[in-house]
Amino acid sequence: MSRFFLHQQIGTGIIEDPDGTELADLAAARSEAILAARQLLAATLLAGVAPLGTAFRISDDVGNVLLTIPFGDAVPDGFPASA
Amino acid sequence: MPQPTQSFVRNCLLSVVDAEGYAAIAPHLEPVALPKGLVLIEGGTPFTHAHFFNTGIGSIVVSTADGRQVEAGLVGREGLSGFGSLLGADQCPQTTMVQIEGEGYRVAIEALRSACRRSRSLHETLLRFVHVFISQTSFTALSNVNQSIEGRLARWLLMCHDRVTGDDISLTHEFLAIMLAVQRPSVTTALHMIEGYGFIRARRGNITIVDRDALVEFADEMYGVPEAEYRRLIGPFG
Repeated sequence: MSRFFLHQQIGTGIIEDPDGTELADLAAARSEAILAARQLLAATLLAGVAPLGTAFRISDDVGNVLLTIPFGDAVPDGFPASA
Repeated sequence: MPQPTQSFVRNCLLSVVDAEGYAAIAPHLEPVALPKGLVLIEGGTPFTHAHFFNTGIGSIVVSTADGRQVEAGLVGREGLSGFGSLLGADQCPQTTMVQIEGEGYRVAIEALRSACRRSRSLHETLLRFVHVFISQTSFTALSNVNQSIEGRLARWLLMCHDRVTGDDISLTHEFLAIMLAVQRPSVTTALHMIEGYGFIRARRGNITIVDRDALVEFADEMYGVPEAEYRRLIGPFG
């Protein structure tokens, strides 16, 4: 288990994850980020507003960025249908 | 065992019940610390004690065998845990655990039941609390399907604020995510947004309520009815 932080990129800024989460490995952190992006996208879609964030930056507990997950990776290919 | 004097008791139910009702329960009140994480009621396990909170907050949580869970309600100095025992049940499916540490009184279930048999006013006061708790969980259901995560979070923070002293609530994002059954970054984002509106200040492990009135307005009728019901039927609260 390691502690992973999911910082959210918003435009030129970032919403810091202050606490992090204990997860098995980076693959588990990636799954968390995908699920979280879907939830954030779904909430903005329902509210009829543009998403605040564009990607998750996954870092370890000393601040090294391990992986960046663009929100586009969280939705199936071809979604939305009109795109 | 020395009995606590009614006028010094901070639990709202114990302080509003009449003298006869208090006399029925007081000999059985055992002061206890309520450390964070302490399980007061284990789902599916027979009740042993009810707990009257003086300070601190307990969460009533429902879960599946594979670990999915959500908070169904919370209780603090306005109530007690283990109230299913007042309704003739020997156990309940929900688990109650301390989420913000505090202190209170515990009372053995048999002693609580017999105190209620001796004092009708005590029994009725406690049952009115159960009624208010049911309205709280009903509004939780409404809020869960009707509100954005920011709205649900606002309602939840108000409910915590009613039950703590001062404006600081000590909670991690991870804990909030479990309580609201959302992914943790959704909590972080929702806190970021309502902090941006100026309603709260969020620091690691701590949230400060800055503008309560604005938070109530933002919670949009999902907060306030059970609390008004408590004041109408029982007494001061929050």
